Amino acid sequence: MDGGEDPSTMTKERESSCSISVHNVSYTVRERVGPWWDVQSYYNKWTRQILRDVSFYMESGQIMAILGNSGSGKTTLLDAISGRIGYKGTLLGEVYVNGSQLKKEQFQDCFSYVLQHDSLLPYLTVRETLTYTAMLALQKHSKEAIKKKVESVMVELSLTHVADTVIGGRIFNGISKGERRRVSIAAQLIQDPKIILLDEPTTGLDSMTANHIVLLLSQLARKDRIVIISIHQPRSELFRLFDRIAIMSCGELVFCGNPEEMISFFDDCGYECPEHSNPFDFFVDLTSVDTRTKEREIETYSRVHAIVGAYRDSDQFQNTLEYINSCKKSKEQRIIPFKQKETPSEISKLLVLFRRTVRNLSRNKSGIIMRLSQNVIFALFIVFFLIRLNNDILKGAVQDRVGVVYQCLGGTSYTGLLNAVALFPALRAIGDQESKDGLYQKWQMLLAYILHILPFSILSVVLFGASIYWIVGLNPEITRFGCFLAATLVPHLMGELLTLAVLGVVNNPNIVSAGVALLNIAGILIGSGVLRSLQEMPRVFQFISYITYQRYSCEILVVNEFYDLQFTCGGQNSTGGNAQCPFTNGNEFIETSYPGALSRITFDFLMLYAFLPVMIIGCIISFKIRDILVRR
Amino acid sequence: MDPSAGIELTKRPRRFPSVRSDVKDDLFVPEEDNSLYFTYSGAPNVLEVKDLCYQVNLNAQIPWYEKLAEFKMPWEWNKGDQTTAMASLNLKVTSGQMLAVIGNSGCGRTTLLDIITCKDEGGKIKSGQILINGKLASKQLVKKSVAHVRQDDQLLPHLTVRETLSFIAKLRLPRSYSEQQRQKRVEDVIAELRLRQCANTKVGNAYTRGVSGGERRRVSIAVQLLWNPGILILDEPTSGLDSFTAHNLVITLSRLARGNRLVLLSIHQPRSDIFQLFDLVLLLSSGATIYSGTAKDMVQYFTSIGYPCPRYSNPADFYVDLTSVNYHSKEEEGETLERTRSLAEIFGEKVKDFNDFLWKVNDENRELPSSETSVNIPTTPLEKAIKIDGNEVDELPKGLHQFAVLLNRHVSNDFRDLSTLLIHGFEAVLMALLIGFLYYGLGGNQLSIQDTIALLFMKGSLTPFAIILDVVAKCHSERAMLFHELEDGLYSVTPYFFAKVIGELPEHMAFVVFYSVPIYWLANLNPGVDCFFLNFFLMWLVVYCSRAMALWMSALLPTLQISSFMSNALFTAAYLTGGFIIRLDTLWAVPFWISFVSFLRWGFAGVMQVQFTNLTYQINIRNITIDIPGKVIIQSLDSDAYPLYASFLVLIGISAGFLVLYYLSLRFVKQKSSQDW
Repeated sequence: MDGGEDPSTMTKERESSCSISVHNVSYTVRERVGPWWDVQSYYNKWTRQILRDVSFYMESGQIMAILGNSGSGKTTLLDAISGRIGYKGTLLGEVYVNGSQLKKEQFQDCFSYVLQHDSLLPYLTVRETLTYTAMLALQKHSKEAIKKKVESVMVELSLTHVADTVIGGRIFNGISKGERRRVSIAAQLIQDPKIILLDEPTTGLDSMTANHIVLLLSQLARKDRIVIISIHQPRSELFRLFDRIAIMSCGELVFCGNPEEMISFFDDCGYECPEHSNPFDFFVDLTSVDTRTKEREIETYSRVHAIVGAYRDSDQFQNTLEYINSCKKSKEQRIIPFKQKETPSEISKLLVLFRRTVRNLSRNKSGIIMRLSQNVIFALFIVFFLIRLNNDILKGAVQDRVGVVYQCLGGTSYTGLLNAVALFPALRAIGDQESKDGLYQKWQMLLAYILHILPFSILSVVLFGASIYWIVGLNPEITRFGCFLAATLVPHLMGELLTLAVLGVVNNPNIVSAGVALLNIAGILIGSGVLRSLQEMPRVFQFISYITYQRYSCEILVVNEFYDLQFTCGGQNSTGGNAQCPFTNGNEFIETSYPGALSRITFDFLMLYAFLPVMIIGCIISFKIRDILVRR
Repeated sequence: MDPSAGIELTKRPRRFPSVRSDVKDDLFVPEEDNSLYFTYSGAPNVLEVKDLCYQVNLNAQIPWYEKLAEFKMPWEWNKGDQTTAMASLNLKVTSGQMLAVIGNSGCGRTTLLDIITCKDEGGKIKSGQILINGKLASKQLVKKSVAHVRQDDQLLPHLTVRETLSFIAKLRLPRSYSEQQRQKRVEDVIAELRLRQCANTKVGNAYTRGVSGGERRRVSIAVQLLWNPGILILDEPTSGLDSFTAHNLVITLSRLARGNRLVLLSIHQPRSDIFQLFDLVLLLSSGATIYSGTAKDMVQYFTSIGYPCPRYSNPADFYVDLTSVNYHSKEEEGETLERTRSLAEIFGEKVKDFNDFLWKVNDENRELPSSETSVNIPTTPLEKAIKIDGNEVDELPKGLHQFAVLLNRHVSNDFRDLSTLLIHGFEAVLMALLIGFLYYGLGGNQLSIQDTIALLFMKGSLTPFAIILDVVAKCHSERAMLFHELEDGLYSVTPYFFAKVIGELPEHMAFVVFYSVPIYWLANLNPGVDCFFLNFFLMWLVVYCSRAMALWMSALLPTLQISSFMSNALFTAAYLTGGFIIRLDTLWAVPFWISFVSFLRWGFAGVMQVQFTNLTYQINIRNITIDIPGKVIIQSLDSDAYPLYASFLVLIGISAGFLVLYYLSLRFVKQKSSQDW
């Protein structure tokens, strides 16, 4: 954490002086044999070895490609090196950087890890994306320094021609896939890491772009960095670009060395790469296990084993071990090359995140329109069916009003849910990744999100109220309109917050939306008293109703609307006692349905608004839990 | 980077004698069993593409809802230039040959296959023609003679491999086939595609475990092979498979070609071991032919025109890269385009004298690998092959038979899917218990009038909401398969419609029972037995209406999101006009008329009448107890405007109406699926 008192002098010292040695890394997982309903096999566990005694050594200026069929442990090896491996299994072996072993919390600060999927905010330009990342990572630097850094990184990755183009998403176009991948890499370069790991950087790109990316990466490596990538089916043209090629199979390192060594090693083993075939493909196939039939599996496995044995006997492997040992011995002289990182204060991080989220949304036309219009559309839907309220009980004075209250409660929370489900998962993915990079904590991103929705939510509820309140003919006093807005704002926000909290622990947005929708309906059923009178409910449900925001919101809305309202009964002023018109005025209705509500209004408001901070804390807790869940 | 840079090696003596040195030990040992179980015994087929030019308007291919999402107005939709996707393409393939179309992404591989199978959309053929056995290709002809295996496997996940094939066999084989013959055909195909060891395994999909990816691919091919087509077209058959599986699949395909079939496949980045298996190769770049000829002569051809392939390089990769257009910068684009153009020109020059448009090694006039091998096959036709004749269609199973098979398939698939059934059952029971206990009558107390009314309405409107989401999601997951099978002419819309509607009934029944009965009992509603059954049937009908509406919406609208949004909107309209949230008699004209088709209104009116007609309620107002006869309550909500039987009739009418709309949508709306938005 105390990496850079003076970045400029430190970099000079570090020149060509970084090495990484991985020594005998093994990783095993204990898994349950059967699915949960098969009790007997569920309780049997078996140990699966994912990595077995992997050792290699690399120095600055080198690029290494890890090859292997799917399931051979490429990604796990990267995870293990970068210290991102979960607590599920047991990790043995050591990773040394410059001869000193890393502590658990130092991994994050030493390695940059570019994941297979780019998660970038779609509406920011390339320059903005990098600038915000720089601001989060290096806030103690001056504005100019940050700007310079961003420009130099863009030059390095040849992104200058798209610097002011938005990144783009699924529906609308922005920069190309290859450029997007380069932005992801650039975001990592901002922190000047000495060791960069990339998981399948070429997957999903066409061959030209893939080759270009690998070429760029090799150039990055030449500038005194260590680059390690895992790669699936590389083209043969890339053969010479790699300084080191590691082939994995079944968690074992079958071979590691430079391309010439690879060809001659396999030649020596008696497997000559045939003419006109891609040596990468050939050697990967040669060293993978074919599991289609038992015999083939045994045969191919023994072949792999023989090659591994040959590699262990080879000079390359012995040299690697010597390097590692000599490195360990000379550890006193060199420092661990941490990434540049001056952790800004938590508040300023929050501010940067907030600005970034706002900037992203401000260009998202459909997102803004959706946020603002959904409530209005819903209001107009109700207006279309209702047109105008009546004061005659026989013509639905009570029933329709309660109906409106019910719709305002249910509808606004449902639109909140829709907003969160549509817009938040993309941000969540970015938060997951950047928090792993150590830029910020997940809950800070969440808080920035909550802050930036507040004005939109208020505005959209005002629009909702304005389009329903006067047309339908609710109580026309201006203060009551204010109360109405205040009481509908909370359900709208709660709908969104509740969804956010659940999105923290459940990944699939479809399940979340169905679940939260039912939760909201249940809340209305239990808490509102519109569908089931509160006094006659079974006791348990009465207790539960106290923890539903619908209870307070509904009580306010009912009192707000019915207080001092006079009803007629079939055209005349009713005198009461009539079976058809049980109420003559609103106060009677309030007293029968919500006894004592009139005196509780302030209390109701306090309770209602207390839900917001509580729920925000709930969201933060849920994202703290997510920290544990995601750390795999 | 210089792509032609090879690697020079100095050979050294072997140093690891411990490692087995059997160089001949093939990496890929194909299954020992190399015999042909199932050959094509019809007349040989010829597929010709003559001088094809094809243009596409890229803008017109984007579906309308995506344009709307980008805020493009309808009048801006069809602007955009025509781009040439195919330029003067010539091709001739005959039975016994396997032709692989290779090229970089965007070179027109898939477009070519789509044009040949007449499934092209948004483009038009400028000149040239496609001939199958000398006849111009048409949808009908393609249906009869060409089997098209798509890139994505569309199979019902919960059926076993053998079941999948036997259901298709029942639909696809002529009626004259006996049950034994049909079973034999299925077994033959299973043997031919080496699916024996997984014949009784579930097919599975992304969410359910089943056979492996390669096996699923082979099942898709088997489905098409069942009717013994002479021409087999495959779109990217190896994508997503690991190297061993891909290799074996291509071996299977080449074996099928040896069985006197015509195999045409498109492939992206074939590995060198796969490339060596192809007979013929067509290399495309932006729609222009760069090379077409035997695979093993390709390197020689390019060497002869000055592009040798480096030693450690896969020729397919090398030449695909050589001919692909680089869009990184303007100059590079112009340069690569120019190279592609000149290469295409050179090739056109070289083959213009051959009538099959294939490049051949000049000195020794080598024969194509195909015709020889196909003659050698012991032609002992196992049984009568399906002839590609006009009157063959009449022999295929008819409507009623199709219906029976589809129904059987639908039910088998649904009932194997135990986890989904359990989730739905659990959902129903959970909701029933929540509502039931919430309205639980304490100590035999009657519920108050208000609460009873609210309960009756909520009971009728909560389930439909859940049902709609389930049905829409399920229909959209099946949509791609339906589209392909209808397109292949496997069955027609009518039998599918009836099979679907009737196949859903048992699940529907169970759901309503689980949901409705506990509530009725817990909330202590009208104890009369007749009331219970009337209430149950009304609930059944209301839920059924919403199911039919969801079916209609998912068949009418193109994506899951739009379907669920619109069905939600319709449901909310029905909900607001249901007579509980807003009084019916205060509705103005338009919503009043809408309320006549609101199934929630009729259901609500019905259950109100059932519940209250014979009951008297007592309420206390200012210490006076008033008896309120049930009739008054019904009147106060305007639920007595029509007699009870009217509710039943109207509900039946509404669900029938939705079903008719569903049928029409199936019939006239293309069920093309676009799952991701």
